Amino acid sequence: MMRSGSGLEHSVIERGDTLKFGGREFGSRLIVGTGKFPDHRTMQQAHEASGAEIVTVAVRRVNLDRTQESLLDYIDTTRYALLPNTAGCYTAEEAIKTAMLAREVGLSDMIKLEVIGDQRTLFPDNEELLKATKVLVKEGFVVLPYTNDDPIMAKKLEDAGAAVVMPLAAPIGSGLGIRNPHNIRIILEAAQVPIIVDAGVGTASDASIAMELGCDGVLMNTAIACAKDPVAMAAAMRYAIISGRLAYLAGRIPKKLYASASSPLEGMIE
Amino acid sequence: MKGLFDVELTVNGKKRTAADGATITTLLEELQINPLRVAVQLNQQILKRELYERTPLREGDMLEIITFMAGGS
Repeated sequence: MMRSGSGLEHSVIERGDTLKFGGREFGSRLIVGTGKFPDHRTMQQAHEASGAEIVTVAVRRVNLDRTQESLLDYIDTTRYALLPNTAGCYTAEEAIKTAMLAREVGLSDMIKLEVIGDQRTLFPDNEELLKATKVLVKEGFVVLPYTNDDPIMAKKLEDAGAAVVMPLAAPIGSGLGIRNPHNIRIILEAAQVPIIVDAGVGTASDASIAMELGCDGVLMNTAIACAKDPVAMAAAMRYAIISGRLAYLAGRIPKKLYASASSPLEGMIE
Repeated sequence: MKGLFDVELTVNGKKRTAADGATITTLLEELQINPLRVAVQLNQQILKRELYERTPLREGDMLEIITFMAGGS
């Protein structure tokens, strides 16, 4: 099983097919989160199994009573690039402040920019998001904004200097999969920057579908962390992303209404 | 207990005291925090790491010490 998996990975490496943005290059198109795992050790094993090279982290107050272990003890920052997020921010001002503090830690100048508009859906507040994107781009951040699957908004974020645009597949943590593949296709058609689907993926086929559509990557957390076996799901996602990418590069056949035989019609036994 | 020369601060929303003359560096040491894994905001201003050692704590200072925690979106 491992052999076929690494064979699959090899076929992408052979093509030199990498994810590029913000002046850096990544071999994996899967970005994984660090939240909701049963424990840090499982998270670490899931990260390993996922093949991801970028992991997302939240920016929060240090726990002063020191009863909790540090997350950073379980992430090898020489192997994984850190992508701090502004999760939980409801205004551009809050998100900008969080991003500035995150950069000050000195481990990353990338920011997964989230400005949430509503607590129940966690849908983005795109007006505030655009505002924050403009400011943070000017401040020299590599900005990856989380947005709706809205082609107009995606274009505005790109024009504002976002390094990547990250439309949602479905609400954060919902596991509903790609709700509007047609919008994602329209976003992809116009995009000059990588498009990474962020949020809403439930299982491996959802990740493959995103990649088959032509997306440049997928970011997920809950689908892996809350699976019954997070490490196995991380491996499933790793190969789902590669399969989907290869299928996209290979170019699928057009859908047809009627059959078309794949065996020759001549030479039939009389 | 606040001593005669101690200063009272708010760190991450909680009140605490520090000895007169204490700096950001001594506070982090006392809290057993690795300065290379945090960012510090002092009275709404981000404080560069190079300044920790030279920044004395003053009465009424509001400090936020942040780090990276588990999270996805």
